[in-house]
Amino acid sequence: MWWKITSVVLLLYAIIAGFLVPLKSGIERIEPSVAQTGEQVQIRFFGYNTFFARPSGETPIRVWLYYNDQYALMAQAVRPLNDTILEATFQMPANLPEGKTFVLLNALADHPTAGASLLPIALTLRQARASEGPLDPAWTAHPVEKLHLQKGFSFPYQNILYETIRNTYFHVPMWFVLLFLFAASVWYSVRYLRRPEADFDRRAAAYAEVGILFGLLGLTSGMVWANYTWGKPWSNDIKQLMTAVALLIYFAYFILRGSFSDPEKGARLAAVYNIFAFASLIPLLYILPRMFDSLHPGATGNPAFGTQDLDNTMRAVFYPAILGWTLLGFWIADLRMRLQRLKDKALGLD
Amino acid sequence: MNWRNLLPLLHKEMVLELRQRYALSGIVLYVVSMVFVVYVASVKPTPPVWNTLFWLIILFASINAVVKSFVRESGARQLYYYQLADPAALVLAKVLYNALLLLALGGLATVAFTLVADSPVQRWPLFAGTLALGSVSFSIAFTFISAIASKADQSATLVAILSFPVVLPVLLTLMRLSAACFTPAGMPVDAWPDVRNLLAVDAILIALVFVLFPYIWRD
Repeated sequence: MWWKITSVVLLLYAIIAGFLVPLKSGIERIEPSVAQTGEQVQIRFFGYNTFFARPSGETPIRVWLYYNDQYALMAQAVRPLNDTILEATFQMPANLPEGKTFVLLNALADHPTAGASLLPIALTLRQARASEGPLDPAWTAHPVEKLHLQKGFSFPYQNILYETIRNTYFHVPMWFVLLFLFAASVWYSVRYLRRPEADFDRRAAAYAEVGILFGLLGLTSGMVWANYTWGKPWSNDIKQLMTAVALLIYFAYFILRGSFSDPEKGARLAAVYNIFAFASLIPLLYILPRMFDSLHPGATGNPAFGTQDLDNTMRAVFYPAILGWTLLGFWIADLRMRLQRLKDKALGLD
Repeated sequence: MNWRNLLPLLHKEMVLELRQRYALSGIVLYVVSMVFVVYVASVKPTPPVWNTLFWLIILFASINAVVKSFVRESGARQLYYYQLADPAALVLAKVLYNALLLLALGGLATVAFTLVADSPVQRWPLFAGTLALGSVSFSIAFTFISAIASKADQSATLVAILSFPVVLPVLLTLMRLSAACFTPAGMPVDAWPDVRNLLAVDAILIALVFVLFPYIWRD
């Protein structure tokens, strides 16, 4: 009983926090995105969830275009037009560092209460031809320093993801639940082979069934997400393919169960296939995705999250969400198993 | 397990195959006609297409070759074998026999395919190794699944739907390996991760076959 309540509480928390907590401030784009050395440019910063017009106290809003830790350009004047648009005036330096003919600069805006936000590779600064002379002192006059952090509970702003980052609490846990359910299904298949009790078989089937349900949910939520971030719902990503194959395995499991006239024999052979198929699922879900390129986060399809993919505020929602969805999955499977038991009893099969 | 029975059992499989020669000829004809269909359909396939077509031919030929291993003999006769010999030795003999059969079929398909559609393979030793690894993996998976399916009421379609998802990781890895065989001899190729994965999968599958087969053969 307690775990059903836990499941509901955790899921309510994950849904409410997942949808209501705001994103951190970010820079969507800047205009213009190309400039020449030596000229004076007015650059508009278009922010997301920013508060440029909010009074900033003694410390003003500061804006940089920076190349690396060493070289940065600070805006001479900063004028907020409203909360999301900021106009910054830059005097571009006379030459570029390291004798280059063009550099890609990152945009950085720092607000004393809303925190710092960054747009990588925001502006291309060109120089007609590489110069030999000493580097313009403007590059090192105002280094990036004393940045502020946004206070309060908020999710990271990611340039391609935007608000869809919230799908992390719904799409990703599906895979955890799927794996837990399939593992439970195999566990009960093993128990069935050791001691043929109808209940073990019903449990194995119910866990596999709910596992398929979560697999389909994960696939759908992933396709909606992919439509926003990768441009189309299905891009033959190795993980999408492997998931489809994993689901095929379990569809085959149910067809095998159904193709015996003797239910005891069907249960036994289905249990054998379940164990065999689960063993071949491990290379499918853990080894193969590492061997092929993937669009998923993590180095070339590494099935795990990278250390930079989650921050602490996301962890505070992500881990409870996994636990909540897992408990819900087992709850559904439990109900499914009990319903099947009642049906079997009514038909006199038990 | 009683290993002394292994060689007689292997011998029995071969004798049985030679006695029902139409089955073997059927498979050989199957491979040759598939190769010919490919030849008629696309005269000169590019290397990636060659790879895909070749492994599809191997996949379907393997399934057709292996599917009969448990339905060939009647249930009563199989029960008799299980009393004479260790069931584990029996299934191992079948796996070994099928691996040899698939290797021969793979060799035949390679020769036939090279004749009609110029093979892009540059590294023949690696390709032969890939073929051998593939034969072993397919043989383990298909033999075991045909043992399961032979107990069901309509087994022919079951073997395909039960085994395709299971062998798909193996098939993808084999295709990667054989694509690596297309690179010219001078270039370095790191085939070891794929070979290692295939060996690991084979080890898992064969271990499962030994553990699980006792639950299949008893009726």
